[in-house]
Amino acid sequence: MSLVTQHIQMGYADSIVIDDLSVKIPQQQITALIGPNGCGKSTLLRGLAGLLAPQRGQVVLQNKALPSWSRQALALQVAMLPQKPVAPDGALVRQLVNYGRFPYQGLLRSASREDLEVVEWAMKRTGIAHYADKPVQALSGGEQQRVWIAMAIAQQAQILLLDEPTTYLDWGHQLEILELLSQLNREQGLTVVMSLHDLNQAAQYSDYVIAMEQGQLIAQGTPVQVITPQLLSRVFKVRAQVVPQDNGKPYCIAQGTVSAADLAVASEKEVA
Amino acid sequence: MPGPGIVLNEAPWYRSLSCLVGPVLLFLMLLLGCLLLSITLGASELSWQQIVNLFTAQESGHVERVVWQLRLPRALLAAMVGIHFALAGFILQTLTRNPLADAGILGISAGASFTAVLAILGASLFVSGLESHRQSQMILGYLPLLAMAGGVTAAGLIYWLSGAARLTPLRLILTGVVLATILNALVTGVLALWGHSQTEMIVEWLAGSLHGRDWQHLAVLWPWTLSGLTACILLQRPLNLLRLEDDQVLSIGLNLRLWRLFALIVATLLAASAVGVVGPIGFMGLVVPHICRRLSPHDVQQQMLLCVAVGALLMMLADLLGRIIIVPYELPVGVVCAMIGVPFFLYLLRRQP
Repeated sequence: MSLVTQHIQMGYADSIVIDDLSVKIPQQQITALIGPNGCGKSTLLRGLAGLLAPQRGQVVLQNKALPSWSRQALALQVAMLPQKPVAPDGALVRQLVNYGRFPYQGLLRSASREDLEVVEWAMKRTGIAHYADKPVQALSGGEQQRVWIAMAIAQQAQILLLDEPTTYLDWGHQLEILELLSQLNREQGLTVVMSLHDLNQAAQYSDYVIAMEQGQLIAQGTPVQVITPQLLSRVFKVRAQVVPQDNGKPYCIAQGTVSAADLAVASEKEVA
Repeated sequence: MPGPGIVLNEAPWYRSLSCLVGPVLLFLMLLLGCLLLSITLGASELSWQQIVNLFTAQESGHVERVVWQLRLPRALLAAMVGIHFALAGFILQTLTRNPLADAGILGISAGASFTAVLAILGASLFVSGLESHRQSQMILGYLPLLAMAGGVTAAGLIYWLSGAARLTPLRLILTGVVLATILNALVTGVLALWGHSQTEMIVEWLAGSLHGRDWQHLAVLWPWTLSGLTACILLQRPLNLLRLEDDQVLSIGLNLRLWRLFALIVATLLAASAVGVVGPIGFMGLVVPHICRRLSPHDVQQQMLLCVAVGALLMMLADLLGRIIIVPYELPVGVVCAMIGVPFFLYLLRRQP
């Protein structure tokens, strides 16, 4: 399943969020979207999932522009987990995960044996099987996030898009989610695209990194190619040291903001 | 209540149906009980003996007329409009993800009322030759269709004004509230300016009343009840999914625009057709879905079935209460619903976990 954007311009009403962006999502790899708040990561993900149509250009899945896919056919290929969804009143974990099987069930057919097995599998993989008959709203934030991920993987699409899947989770739960995604990627050849705020996690768990700023593509490539001190100071306005680790992945150590550094330089000059 | 097995329909179809046998039997027994009460009690007291005689064909004349021509059709009609208002409220609350939505609050009932009031006044201008009783009988026959036209127009306006395809649940409900206010003001305005000749009839109709309704009205309404129930079977899974966020609904492959529009149309036709026959009865659409969600907190499918049962029973009981509380006068069922419904609703809110 190749997923490509061709010169897309995206936005809401009058404001343009993404301008002339062309990117090819590497198949069966994990791609991390990085960039400051408001740079268009979420909008790009919505565009890739066909949730928001580009104002110009097009998103192409398997040589076919997204608008010519039916919703159901698209749902069999691409699953998307938005940022921080709200669970409906009274819905049970098992029910929500089963909603991920909707593209296989349609309007009237009830859950098949395969559907039930996939739902069980998804709940086991995300470690929520023992909550199956609890209301989602009674769970903690981290547990709820795993329910949403279970629903998304129950969809068994080949491409999984996640908007900040680790936000609001504690450190351990963040790593659990990322490890789960990389396992699914290794075992099932799942293509994953996710936006992440933690650059070290992005470097550690992704094969490919796309850096964005103000709706523009700034850099793309392997973590080593993209995550450099120059890029960090340009995109995040952060002065950082990037050291290679044993596994070859880069590791960032922040030293302060660029503006603080500028101030320090300025005050040194004054003293001199 | 059926066990958790029905939640996923994981049992074969006959098992999930067999789970329903108990509740359905209970519902039918309650319905029969309410029907018997409804045909026995009222302004002219009938004894149980007379009712029994009626079925063994030993009773005729007065008793037969009261039961077959007045009380039975009226009780059945109450059950039907109860189902209409309850399902419409349930669909609208799910659609807007707002527990306060119902046909009254969203302006659908107001739209239906507006055309109905215009129709009653218009008829009094053009058909002044007929005696007033015959005239009002005649208009009551046409009202459902006219009211539906008004309700559908109002719903169309709400849909269009809240952004059509780009509609969000919040915008839908805000637009509806605004439109309801305007339409209700228009109804009052029309009534104040030109209502003199028909004030009594219009006021009674606006209060929501089952007085004088018979088989003729039942005949007008049942096709809409039947098509509404059929549409609800198609709607049950989309309604489940519409509780999620828009982006999730789309990404699991539901055509959001299509089903949102379809659900709105079904709710509108259910509510507006009922308004056309009995007037804008409020609070049923608001309260019954809350009761049903309380009875079955997890399963939308069961909640919809419960809406049918609870809506029918409550409306029938409310009308019965209105008929026997201050004999020989009658309290309109709309007034009874508001008087029971509001305190009960407050009670439910206080007990909200």
